[in-house]
Amino acid sequence: MSDTPDAVKATRPERQGQGRPSSGRQAHPLARFLVRRILLAVLMAWGITLVTFVLTNLVPGDPVAANLGQRALGDPAIVAQWRAEHGLDKPLWQQYALHLQGLLQGDLGTSQQSHRPVSQDLAEFVPATLELAGAAILVSLVLGVAFGVVAALRRDRLADHTLRLLSLIGISVPTFWLALLAFYVFFYRLQLTPGSGRVDAALGSAPAVTGLQTVDALLAGRWDIFTSAVGHLITPALVLALYTIGLLTRFTRSAVLEVLGQDYVRAARAKGLPGRVILFRYVLRSALVPIITVAGLAFGSLLSGTVLVEAIFAWPGVGQYAYKSATTLDLPAVMGVGLVVGVVYLVINLIVDVLYGVIDPRVRLQ
Amino acid sequence: MATRSQTAAVLLAAALTLAACASGGGTSQSPAASGGGKTLVIDTSFDLKTADPGRTYEPTGLIVGKAVYETLLTFDGADVTKPMPALAESYELSEDGKTLTLKLKQGATFADGAPVTADDVVFSLTRVRDMKGTPSFLLDGVEVAKTDDTTITLTSKAANPALPYILPNPALGIINSKLAQQHGATTDPQDKAEQWLNSASAGSGPYMIESFNVSSQVTLKANPKYYGTKPAYDKVVLRNVEAATQKLNVARGDSQVALNLSGDQVAGMPATLQVKKTASANVIFLLANQDSAISKTTPNAKFVEAVRKGVDYAGLLELAGEGSTQAPGVIPSQLLGALPPEQAAQRDVEGAKAALAASGLSNPTVKLEYPSELTVNGLSFQPLAERIQANLKEVGITVDLQPAPVTTALDNYRNGKEEMGLWYWGPDYPDPSDYLAFLPGKLVGLRAGWKAGAAKEIEAAGDKAATAIGDDARKSAYADVQTKLNASGPFIPLIQPSQNIVTAGSVTGLEYHPVWTVDVADLGVK
Repeated sequence: MSDTPDAVKATRPERQGQGRPSSGRQAHPLARFLVRRILLAVLMAWGITLVTFVLTNLVPGDPVAANLGQRALGDPAIVAQWRAEHGLDKPLWQQYALHLQGLLQGDLGTSQQSHRPVSQDLAEFVPATLELAGAAILVSLVLGVAFGVVAALRRDRLADHTLRLLSLIGISVPTFWLALLAFYVFFYRLQLTPGSGRVDAALGSAPAVTGLQTVDALLAGRWDIFTSAVGHLITPALVLALYTIGLLTRFTRSAVLEVLGQDYVRAARAKGLPGRVILFRYVLRSALVPIITVAGLAFGSLLSGTVLVEAIFAWPGVGQYAYKSATTLDLPAVMGVGLVVGVVYLVINLIVDVLYGVIDPRVRLQ
Repeated sequence: MATRSQTAAVLLAAALTLAACASGGGTSQSPAASGGGKTLVIDTSFDLKTADPGRTYEPTGLIVGKAVYETLLTFDGADVTKPMPALAESYELSEDGKTLTLKLKQGATFADGAPVTADDVVFSLTRVRDMKGTPSFLLDGVEVAKTDDTTITLTSKAANPALPYILPNPALGIINSKLAQQHGATTDPQDKAEQWLNSASAGSGPYMIESFNVSSQVTLKANPKYYGTKPAYDKVVLRNVEAATQKLNVARGDSQVALNLSGDQVAGMPATLQVKKTASANVIFLLANQDSAISKTTPNAKFVEAVRKGVDYAGLLELAGEGSTQAPGVIPSQLLGALPPEQAAQRDVEGAKAALAASGLSNPTVKLEYPSELTVNGLSFQPLAERIQANLKEVGITVDLQPAPVTTALDNYRNGKEEMGLWYWGPDYPDPSDYLAFLPGKLVGLRAGWKAGAAKEIEAAGDKAATAIGDDARKSAYADVQTKLNASGPFIPLIQPSQNIVTAGSVTGLEYHPVWTVDVADLGVK
């Protein structure tokens, strides 16, 4: 394939561009880039549906046995009716075709567990997980980047060693163990944090608008629910964030150290620019690209990390839903969760790619 | 550039504010929760699918069903040997055991104020039976008819002395038929009322559903129009919480009841809490497959005898913790017809070795299958299986442990393909007739490869028990079935693990119930 001059490419930092394109032509290739990326994302989403469908149906075990009671299983009429109701009496390819057809109409099927549309279940559980993972990523970014910068600026001093040790601990400690420990120490022993769930049981919850408890509480003007929700969020979010904080501290430290050694930073320092300006304007800006890459990937792993944290903190998120669906062979629900998590990954990758261009002019599209 | 650094500063400030709010909020909330007030928080590991009584069959669903719906008959506290009046003020079983006549109580009303009528009863019971949901078998072959406005008759083709023990099941709760029909309720498999019943209350029970979520939380509120004694709590919140977290929650006062703690977990609880330990109605047993196509070893009667004598029952009870008890037969101790403890099998290693020698098998190896991640009353199958393996090693039997996730393990078990299996049976209803499933050709019998006609004497004893009328006759008939099963059947009843319920000091009136675990309307405040 010949490489046409106006071919649109996402360029990685290593493949540096030829400088800034003129502002008049910028919008057009960016739009084309976005369209291409979105089409690719749609294609990948289709791939995800295929993979989740195949994997889900490869699992040994009979969903009928997992869902009907011992007695009902003894009645072939009930078993046959259940199979027909859930489309399990059709050949696999037809099941997939029906699944895909449903997806195109926004129908993710009906959960065999809750007997509700999977989309309705997900609409309830996904926001809870996004709120938790979102809080975790926010905390990670703020603390991880700050720790990394401090460690780099205080290289080989006590602060650096301490932060590096902490980041090592954050990366190595298993999340579920940390979750149990944090729950025991902060909730039970020190009585600093509230217990299970998203909000105090006695308070009830704010009417769902966004599904994010903190936001909904503010919208409803319920300050008591808001403080309770934030209180419930803090420990699981910190537990979840610790791994990412460790990761970001290490990456930020090495990225900042690398930039600090560059000629233009030395030149800026020689010109007498204040340290703060150098840090924010030159150093952090260059270091942001690898940081964003890591943060994007970490957000993905945060989503899977929530399963155990949600279990321990009784957080009604998609992790619990996924676990329950998998253990009861609730196939439509498992496929729905797989699709949503896959799509979230795709969207994050898309955002990360676009952010590269926004942050670093050298990475902009040709 | 300045804007970006400003953004970072704002983010940081926001994070710090959040953290400050959180620590303040945390400390101020705990007294509100621990004070109890009129809200009761119950932590349990959810096993819940629906709030539609006609489809309910899971432990958590039965707790909800018991609170929201009323049944014709009920049980008083934990005693399941005597059905008591509920929506029916009296009942009478005909001499041939085929007709049960019930007189309806007057003055009962649904949550919307409408009176509970005989038509509601006929509709509700017919719906359960003909909708073909999981609990429909409870009324298999039972005809429901209204004789007059206050009389209902239930007619079965064969004698059905278990019916009064089946009727208290919350799955047979009476629904407001007019209201439910407006929301899609029918008496056939086309019924569409489930979604509506998951958010509304069509019952006459002391509570109503405020919110319902199958995987996280169910909130009940007191029914303002309840015609009976008002419950002590205005609101009951059932939360889905892991056992380890349940313990910390109840100990700190974040919840008032924890339902799923194991024997180990309730040891050393603070003195401010009440711990109720009762043998659960779940019986854990071993099965030895009688199908020679599945195993050359386990159909051998002497081999089964060697296993029965080789298991160290006292050791298993030690593993299961305080409150657990050995199961002398397949029928649990709470039910009519249970065998007395003296009849329980004893360990006899020499006798086991002798039986093995008489079997003609030398150093047999058998596969033992069981669910790896399933727990019964907080007790995991893995340590039990390991202990049995060690016990039988002493006898000369090598046990090859084959754990599998429950959804996979169930397949082999239900299809009768396990050489040996370690499983449990909880009563569908608290009547010994539920245990006829262990006989040849019946549900559990077939899982042990035990086909109809394989043990004529036991089958005859089973037929006799099924049609026996009157408590005394039934007691001795079911004892006879179990004695025969223990002598030559393929099942080895092991233990009934303990149901451990922990409550805050302020909660009164808690009883463990084998069908609905706990009746929340019975709970009071000290």
